[in-house]
Amino acid sequence: MQIEPAFDAHRPDGTGPNRRTLLKAAALGLFAFNVAGVEALISPAEARTRGAALSILSANEAALLEAFGEALVPGARAAGIAHFVDANLARPHHDSLLTARYLDVLPPHDAFYKAGLAALDGASRAVLGAPFAQVSAAAAKPLVAAMLPGTIAPWQGPPAALFYLAVRSDAADLVYGTRAAFARMQVPYMAHIDPPGDW
Amino acid sequence: MTGGHTPSQHAPKRTDAVIVGAGAAGNLFAAVLAEAGKSVLVFDPGPAWKTGDLYSSSIWSRRLRWGGPAVESAGANPFGAGFNMGWGTGGAALHHYGTWPRLMPADFTMKSDFGKGLDWPIGYDDLRPFYDRVQEEVGVSGDAEAEVWRPAGAPYPLPPLQQFAQARLLQRGFHAQGMKTAPSPMAILSQDYKGRPACLYDGWCDAGCPIGALANPLVTYHPRAVKAGARFVNGAHVTQLIPGKTPRQAAGVEYIDSTGATRTAHADMVILAASTVSNPAILLNSTGGDWSRGAGNGSGLVGRYFMTHSIASVYGFFDGEETENYMGVTGAQATNMDHYGKQSLGGGAFGSLQWQLAPTMKPNDLLGVAMARADLFGADLTAFMERAVHHLAVMFGFGEGLPMLENRVELSERSGPGGMKTPRVVHSFAPESVKLSDMAAKLGLGIIKAGGASEPWAGPMATAHMMGGTIMGSDPRTSVTDSFGRSHDIDNLVIAGPGLFPTAGAMNPNFTNHALALRGAEHIAARWLS
Repeated sequence: MQIEPAFDAHRPDGTGPNRRTLLKAAALGLFAFNVAGVEALISPAEARTRGAALSILSANEAALLEAFGEALVPGARAAGIAHFVDANLARPHHDSLLTARYLDVLPPHDAFYKAGLAALDGASRAVLGAPFAQVSAAAAKPLVAAMLPGTIAPWQGPPAALFYLAVRSDAADLVYGTRAAFARMQVPYMAHIDPPGDW
Repeated sequence: MTGGHTPSQHAPKRTDAVIVGAGAAGNLFAAVLAEAGKSVLVFDPGPAWKTGDLYSSSIWSRRLRWGGPAVESAGANPFGAGFNMGWGTGGAALHHYGTWPRLMPADFTMKSDFGKGLDWPIGYDDLRPFYDRVQEEVGVSGDAEAEVWRPAGAPYPLPPLQQFAQARLLQRGFHAQGMKTAPSPMAILSQDYKGRPACLYDGWCDAGCPIGALANPLVTYHPRAVKAGARFVNGAHVTQLIPGKTPRQAAGVEYIDSTGATRTAHADMVILAASTVSNPAILLNSTGGDWSRGAGNGSGLVGRYFMTHSIASVYGFFDGEETENYMGVTGAQATNMDHYGKQSLGGGAFGSLQWQLAPTMKPNDLLGVAMARADLFGADLTAFMERAVHHLAVMFGFGEGLPMLENRVELSERSGPGGMKTPRVVHSFAPESVKLSDMAAKLGLGIIKAGGASEPWAGPMATAHMMGGTIMGSDPRTSVTDSFGRSHDIDNLVIAGPGLFPTAGAMNPNFTNHALALRGAEHIAARWLS
């Protein structure tokens, strides 16, 4: 039987960022990242630039997520998609800002992302003969295009279309959903209440 | 009497009424009962949101969606629980879009008229005075005369909202096809009203309206409930009803508080207003005493007849125009109901159709510009975005989903707080409903093209809104409650929310939800006081 903790139980075994840190970050509307052993409340892009430690994803998974996010939405890598997803996976489910919540992906979402990334890499190795992070955008295009219609093969993981939509939305959040992105596109942001960070 | 947020350790052990859920219906019931002098305790599993929490951000708005135990979604046309359900004080109404059309008279008599679906135990005329009163209380903007389809009722208390280029462009297509349009009836203030400010048209309704122009519960019935002394316990997940001395009585509720402690609250009256999904889940989990099939489930219909609306989304470019698609409101700027008649589309389709034109689109998010072409990625997406953020227009055709016994909220094998089973929603549209949505998409493509849009396309059929599952009716054998939401089986149990609807129509449900809740709450209060 699978028992879901009722509240605030982002890690049944108690690992991951502590509750105090998460609350402080949430109060400020930023994410807490560990940079060289020092806790910093910074944006995902800055976390990437400063080499912040990851909480949930491995380095290989982060590199793969960056490559996939960049293939989907150019700019996602520099915007810090791996750190954005990682930081949200480390939060309690009800504090997560990931679109996966809207897509009815059953928690725990870290398992969803990890399985999806593994499936993508497996497909890339089988079809393209190389890890996904090492193939060019042009070479990856047919593989990525087969995800939404669900024709990608081999695929062993969560539904390919669901994983595609989730990561594409994460990437779109960072590349198109920030105040800086609105300004770049000449779309007025018009906030009632300014969001705490860049979005 | 002092109302407001109360830590669970200070919550009274016994009150006149316990209300489960601090959404639209729960707050309305709390206000009416507290103002009638009853002691009221409201439980909600989510946080006690304040308007200052409502950041203008599609990303941050996800905190307002369901954050409790996972809801599984299954069937040929799965229901989008994560997007539709709410989390915390205000419930789904905190992030709803304020599109408030009334149901039509024919929605109440579908089985009698067509031999399909169900009949309501009441008609439109029974609900009309409550629609009129609610719109006066919360403020609804619109043009009743322009809505030539609108059933009888008081005119709106406020003039229609301002329209922007996207709405003007899309209406051209309807008019070119000989179809009518009208400003959408919106529970958003076009002028200052009862101390609340008018809308600023910045299009962040989906993230919650912090200025209170949109009638979310934080600015409508919640303040009234608090003022009248209702007490709210947040972070409290109600797991089941507690049986009373007889099977026809509920003693109260059991809940898990924010510390994980199991607690009980006893009351003379239990109001279940958790949500269309959570209400049946709580009832089915309540198997204490003689309730072996679940509380209030003598009919075996708790969870059954779950309904949602189909959405046919139609897009097009107006390259020579700035469509201002980031301006306005998230709901709609204009509407058309020429095909609301159940058989008006013909061709094997059945059910009502409502068009909503020109909702705000922010660049990202589920209903945003980037998702309009989910198949695009890489450089193709970049090029699309540069064009679309200034030249895209969209309209949605909401199609009626029929009440079908097999569409249901049931308990899954997963366990949540307190070991209770979590819900699974199983939903598939009837073939004539799929046909309705397909025909709506074809119709919409013709309309938008007639308006001058280039490269029009229709998105995949989606779902929106949640209704049914605890349907009302006259016969205890074929329904869960009476027309006031009173359980047929448990004398002091009242169910509230769109779960009571026996049919869905094609209208956004929250206006009808409010009208039904006001009717039910006043009925309960009057009988109680007498």
